[in-house]
Amino acid sequence: MRLELERRSFGETGVLGRLVLEVARGERLAILGPSGIGKSTLLRILLGLDRDFEGRLDAPERTAPVFQEPLLLPWRDARANLTIPARIGAAEADRWLARVGLEGLGHRYPRQLSLGQQRRLALARAFAARPDLLMMDEPYASLDAATAARMLALTEGMLSETGAGLVLVTHDPREAEALKARKLWLDGRPARLAGAVTQAADATGSCG
Amino acid sequence: MSRHEVAAAATRARRRGPWGLEGVVAVAGLLALWAVAAVIADQPRILPTPWAVGAEIVRLAGTGELWRHMSATFGRVVASFVLALIAGTGIGVLMGRRAGADRWLNPLLVIALNMPALVVIVLCYIWIGLNETAAVTAVALNKVPLVAVMIRDGTRALSPALDDMAQAFRLPLADRWRHVILPQLVPHLASAARAGISLIWKIVLVVEFLGRSTGVGFKLHMSFSLFDVTGVLAWALGFVVLMLAIDGLVLRPWERRASRWRRDAA
Repeated sequence: MRLELERRSFGETGVLGRLVLEVARGERLAILGPSGIGKSTLLRILLGLDRDFEGRLDAPERTAPVFQEPLLLPWRDARANLTIPARIGAAEADRWLARVGLEGLGHRYPRQLSLGQQRRLALARAFAARPDLLMMDEPYASLDAATAARMLALTEGMLSETGAGLVLVTHDPREAEALKARKLWLDGRPARLAGAVTQAADATGSCG
Repeated sequence: MSRHEVAAAATRARRRGPWGLEGVVAVAGLLALWAVAAVIADQPRILPTPWAVGAEIVRLAGTGELWRHMSATFGRVVASFVLALIAGTGIGVLMGRRAGADRWLNPLLVIALNMPALVVIVLCYIWIGLNETAAVTAVALNKVPLVAVMIRDGTRALSPALDDMAQAFRLPLADRWRHVILPQLVPHLASAARAGISLIWKIVLVVEFLGRSTGVGFKLHMSFSLFDVTGVLAWALGFVVLMLAIDGLVLRPWERRASRWRRDAA
């Protein structure tokens, strides 16, 4: 995946400045920075949700998101929350439910699940879509330490199993390290990728 | 009304049900008042007794006439109800999601909302002809603006976050409607349907009164020509009962089923 961004503005305010971002197949990348710097805006551009930017995006065929909130369909049960967005069968959905520790809960509605369970369901949904590249936006931010650690381990395990690439947006470098992700910093106004040139060049040999 | 207020009102209505003890007493009181008035007035041609009207309903049911005309009316109600709901939902969602469409269509909607039903009916009969198409079109046209307004307000309350989710997973349009948009509109659709069915059957009777030779409205026309008050009341009461039955046996159970996820919270 490659993004050459010239500029993303909201009104007169430039939020994101010129930056180039490249992720190789199966590569894990973390975008770090203080809150409000434009990390989520950058991820929305990568997900194709924000097309109102100047620049060029070459996205891989299959991407899947994990958002800050679980964003499940409250009116569909846990299993349908996998089968509908990921377009998979019921049997495969049950395997994913078991993989994230939700076996037997396929008929529960999201409201009948704890927040931790909802998070794991959202994670399973993203992996069930068989993405080449997983895009996560602060997925551990509002969790307690123990739950966050469990989610991180689960994410690491499933990334290794599937070989999917990762773009993780977070304010916490420890999450990036736990997922063995290359770190880039977003800073300034309009924001640019600090350290991007050298680190990206080290990692891919083609970025500038 | 916000989505939650609509849902809460729907929940309250469901718990109460249409027929609490007070409801039964109120209706019984009305019947008693009617009976007393009819007996005192002693003018059966102008104010027949409830039992005379009841006997007329039984007689009409016996000849098969009741079912024939009620089913003709019912068919028109269903056809125009479905048409109005589909068209109104389409227009309402468009106006709710696109500010441009709202600016163009809103003035027309205000005019349509204030257009007298009778004008639409007469124009449909003149332009389309005295036929079934004109009848159903006229009724549906009367109902579309109201559905559009209710659905537009519901659409404005749609969750943008779920929209992003659906788009990020590249859900096909049909799935997006079925699994993301329509479930959020259910409380609004239910209100629109409930408000719609009572409005529609009243307009269907007018349409039949003016230009059809079957249906309850046609029979009311006949009874009116003969100053047959017993007949007017018999046809009207029979149809009110049918419409209440549809509300209780079809619309309410559907709404309950569609909002099951909301109530089964842990």
